[in-house]
Amino acid sequence: MPISATAEAPASIEATSLDERVERAAECVAPAWPLHSFVTANPLAGFEAWHFEDAVREAGSLFAASGYPGPDVLRAAWQRGDIDDKLLRCVLDQAGYAKSPKALLGWLKRKASSAPPASRVNGAEKRVNERLVKWLTVFLDEGQAEWPMPGREKGFYAAWRSLAIYDRQIPGREHLAGMPLSASAAIEWLIGDQTDLAQYELLRDQFAALPGWVGRIKQRIESDDAWQRDAPISLIDYAAVRLTLLYVMDEPLQARHDSSNDESEADRVAAGFERAWEQTYRDRLVSAIRASSEESEANNDDSPDAQWVFCIDTRSEVIRRHLEATGRHETFGFAGFFGLPMQYELDSADAAEPACPPILNPAHHIRDQVADGCETVGGRARQWHRLFRSGWRLVNDLKHNVGAAFHFVESSGPLYGIAMAARTLVPRKLRALRRRFGAHFPEPNHYCAPDLDGATACEDESLPVGLTHQQKVQYAAGALSLMGWDQFAPVVVFVGHGSESENNPFASSLHCGACAGHRGGPNARVLAAICNEREVRTDLKAQGFAIPEQTVFLAGEHNTTTDEIELFTKGTDLENTDRLQGIRQDLVTAQHGAASERGRALGTLGSSQAVRETGRRAGDWSEPRPEWGLAGNAAFVIGPRWLTRQLNLSGRCFLHSYDWQKDPDGSLLETICNGPMVVTQWINNHYYFATVDNAVFGSGSKVTQNPVGNIGVVQGNGGDLMTGLPLQSVAAGDDDAFHQPLRLTVVIHSPLGRVLEVFDKNQQLAQLLSNEWISVVALDPQEELTPRDVRQHLQDAALAVG
Amino acid sequence: MSHRVVSPMPESNGARLPRLTAVSSILVWSLFLAASVLLAWSVTRAEPVWQGPMLLIDGLTIVLWLAVSFFSGIVHVFSRRYMAGTRRIGLFFARLLAFTVCAAAFVAANHLLLMTLAWLGMGLIMAGLIGRVEGWRQAQAAKAFARRRFLLSAALLASGLALLGWLGGSWNVVEVLDWLASTDTPAALALVAVLLIAAAAIQCALIPMHTWLLSSMTAPTPASALMHAGFVNGGGILLTRFAPVFGAVEWSLTLLLVLGAVSAIAGKVLKSLQPEVKRQLGCSTIGQMGFMLMQAGLGFFSAAITHLILHGCYKAYLFLGVGERLHHHTPRAHREAPPITRFSSLIAGLALGVVGGWLFLVLTGKGLTGDTGLLLGLFVGLTVLHSTRDVLGNLSLPTAVRMLGVPLTFFPLIVIYALVFNGVRGVIGGLPGVDHPAALSPVHYIIGSVFVTGYAVIELGWHQNLAWLYVKLINLSQPAADTATVMKREYYAY
Repeated sequence: MPISATAEAPASIEATSLDERVERAAECVAPAWPLHSFVTANPLAGFEAWHFEDAVREAGSLFAASGYPGPDVLRAAWQRGDIDDKLLRCVLDQAGYAKSPKALLGWLKRKASSAPPASRVNGAEKRVNERLVKWLTVFLDEGQAEWPMPGREKGFYAAWRSLAIYDRQIPGREHLAGMPLSASAAIEWLIGDQTDLAQYELLRDQFAALPGWVGRIKQRIESDDAWQRDAPISLIDYAAVRLTLLYVMDEPLQARHDSSNDESEADRVAAGFERAWEQTYRDRLVSAIRASSEESEANNDDSPDAQWVFCIDTRSEVIRRHLEATGRHETFGFAGFFGLPMQYELDSADAAEPACPPILNPAHHIRDQVADGCETVGGRARQWHRLFRSGWRLVNDLKHNVGAAFHFVESSGPLYGIAMAARTLVPRKLRALRRRFGAHFPEPNHYCAPDLDGATACEDESLPVGLTHQQKVQYAAGALSLMGWDQFAPVVVFVGHGSESENNPFASSLHCGACAGHRGGPNARVLAAICNEREVRTDLKAQGFAIPEQTVFLAGEHNTTTDEIELFTKGTDLENTDRLQGIRQDLVTAQHGAASERGRALGTLGSSQAVRETGRRAGDWSEPRPEWGLAGNAAFVIGPRWLTRQLNLSGRCFLHSYDWQKDPDGSLLETICNGPMVVTQWINNHYYFATVDNAVFGSGSKVTQNPVGNIGVVQGNGGDLMTGLPLQSVAAGDDDAFHQPLRLTVVIHSPLGRVLEVFDKNQQLAQLLSNEWISVVALDPQEELTPRDVRQHLQDAALAVG
Repeated sequence: MSHRVVSPMPESNGARLPRLTAVSSILVWSLFLAASVLLAWSVTRAEPVWQGPMLLIDGLTIVLWLAVSFFSGIVHVFSRRYMAGTRRIGLFFARLLAFTVCAAAFVAANHLLLMTLAWLGMGLIMAGLIGRVEGWRQAQAAKAFARRRFLLSAALLASGLALLGWLGGSWNVVEVLDWLASTDTPAALALVAVLLIAAAAIQCALIPMHTWLLSSMTAPTPASALMHAGFVNGGGILLTRFAPVFGAVEWSLTLLLVLGAVSAIAGKVLKSLQPEVKRQLGCSTIGQMGFMLMQAGLGFFSAAITHLILHGCYKAYLFLGVGERLHHHTPRAHREAPPITRFSSLIAGLALGVVGGWLFLVLTGKGLTGDTGLLLGLFVGLTVLHSTRDVLGNLSLPTAVRMLGVPLTFFPLIVIYALVFNGVRGVIGGLPGVDHPAALSPVHYIIGSVFVTGYAVIELGWHQNLAWLYVKLINLSQPAADTATVMKREYYAY
């Protein structure tokens, strides 16, 4: 039964202000982050108040998109046994389809080939887009063009209006001179006589016609960054330009009313397959957890030599398993920003980057400073970075210069030729060379320490620099309690993660999502530094965290391409100790295991080759698939490690540590559900939609992508901004899907009542659950882990009350 | 401890590549090896290595074989990973191979008909690569647009060469050129020159025939690399082969010079407006091809050949590495060059610029007699001048680097260029008419001052607020109709 909050929206649109109507009309488009800070968000975020199936249908007709896996993908899953046959027949039967799965798949296939989605493109919208796209591209550029659009500081509508009068590609441009000077006056003048509802529908079509650029505008407005302040654009600006174009080009100023969507029948069948597929996965996961956890719980009492905290990222599951297998290592899962809402300014960077999930706003600005004892290496590295940057800047300058470029090309040509040959023919050797060179000029992670107290001067004063003592204690205690910590080993390592790839516009989509698409090393360093402070330890002890005197907190970074874990030990007591030596050996063993397991999914066989091959992928500029990222993600397990310790979850699960016994009032669970769980749902939906319709919800094949404006990519000769993951991130080939598009299953190890309470208290979460964007299973420890469908129980409870 | 496996992901077969991809890579690299051997052999003798009714293997052929097989070989190896998993990958490699064969045949053709057919073949294959994605409407429109242009250029070439063959009474390149050297210039030769220049202008995407190039980004990235490093050079090679024709029709070189200069300047200015990286690269190619034809127009055909090879390295690299071109900038970090008015750095820049230009002229032996080579020295001087101003103005650098950086990096680079240039000239120098610089004329002074003025205007930013000019240039750099994917739904990856 759909909860159609937004379905009723048109009615409540009456008697709203223009601002509000525009805002509401644009809700159908999700914000699009710039590619340097990729965020795997739900492209249908604006529809989350709808039932999944309604949202998919509505978005399908707005964007001419598909919302379910195609018949080939479903057939493959069914034939592989990933869709349980009995379950499938049962689900289809309930939906009223008596035919066999095979017959239904054949019918779906015929249906799909008879109506290509491109036939649903609206002519007037396309004509307007053709004239608008070039202006949006130059207005929203962030420093790629040397000669920026003139007059951007006036705002989009005004800047456009003063240029468009010269634009011979706009038929009827002579009418532009008579248009009002302000954007809202223009809208009022053009459609002020229409009813509020008609206005809303017309505006919504305008936003849905160009979802890539509109998404970019939305995120730019939300972030209110320096670019937006220098060249402001509003949704009203966009709408005014579009409507003006419609007007001068003599196109009708009214919403298109599509003939009703006849895809719905095919969608219903596909939805049946999808549900059966998800149910199969869920059943297998839950029963495996139940079967294995009994023995696991029993032998869980040995005291570990080292404890490791990894990000909840699905890739951590693999490396954790292999690390645990090497010895007495205990591992935990925690959001990879380690609970620190901050922006971080790396020593080598021009600007601070956000280092917390996009659902939070950074509250602190933390900077690198050269660590004690690292002055020599730090000074050398800094000088090198500066020289390198200046050199690149000069090269760029020369390339663009009218007088200088011609000879520059000739005198640098031989170097480009050599570099091209080396990068193409010997990528692995080149990487090895770079690493050897990098040992002398290391990354800031290796010679810097976070300036926790904000002692160094900082130009950007929008945020407090550094942390107070209370804040340090609060963040440390928050992190430790959320993980349900019992006892502390002599070494505790916080491990952030980042990916390594070359020539990859989507590099940030492979970094840590919890760190806003950046590497997680700095966050790990900050938390480790906090926990090593003597005064913080004293206060933590007072709060009941018995951290032994000799325990050392370390930071590290997991390279998710090669599965290598780097430890940042410079300046710590552990440097050059035997203990550290042993740990490093275990890390190498774990790397071999994890790399060969993950290599299998990339087509590499044999563990001896695997590490070599991942190194090649990390350093090869012709590699469109350096790693699989979070592809395959399907479930989020909230509970202690012993629950899943015996299982190989194939890198498909997010794992968050949680001990229900340390959370009597359910507040920790509530935090996990509101934070990490929502983020995993975003990631899961992003992968889902980018897989089922890569043209509309993804960014298409890397092979024909064209980077634009330092913010994203377009396809081929330009057009709408492509948002979302590229085809190569979710598919092994054009005809070879890889990611399995399953909606997220959340498994929570906690008494059912407490879970119900959390969902009851948080309407947004309840909405996600009851609208089937996610499924939640509670494994009640007080009832021998009997699985409980939380959606069912929530509905029953609502009925009982009702 | 063994773990129980839960719902594993399907194992990938690692996108197996058809055998053709390996075969064609091996063939192309074999051509590279063969050309290297031939090069070593050919420098020891003055005569062409081989001269038959169909093929002519001389210095120019060998140098260009080396270049085309190098670019194609790199693109092959790159594509084996980059294109893995794409549909019809065998066809893609077949096209790469066929293009390489056509290009190799073109530079070795001794028969006018073979030359025309190879030219046509290169065009049709390139059009096929532009339209590689069959289900993508915009790619098909771009393919059709490019193909129309290439057919036109092939028609122009065919008529030019037919006329030339008819006048000279032979279909053989060498015989026709021999005839030309031994006779008074017939009036109809002017028409041949114009037809050849027109064919080259289309292939080199000179303005106003540039739109096909700016609409060609539907081609896979490695195919674009091959297009910008190989295909567009066809025009320069054609003109070099028939250099005596232009030597005989004096004003045709001036025409070439002016055409080239317009595209050189316009290409660079158009580039400065583009937020799309591939379109920037396209505009840059227009400019560089313009410059290459300018060099030819100045009478330095061997400099033009050197330029198109070095530009090929540069542009292929930038295309293959196009994924690196996304950086997080802040508006303030988007640096402004030190003002041209800063006196000290300007003086230092001018001084080093003159030294650099002089070094270039001495090492390459150009312009020493006060001919058009001086104009080429001017461009070297501008490069050094600009770098000096930039480096001196960069206060974040240590003083030693600021003072010595430019002489220590740019002067060696000029030496390397001179080595390459002298090498190319040494190998192809025996060709008729490839090196005959003209005396400086008013046209040359005008063009020289246009570039210097352009440099100053852009440094001062005077053009930046000319709204009408901005709009005109933006529209001039738009791709052809319906080749941009303005509706996401029309994008189709296969």
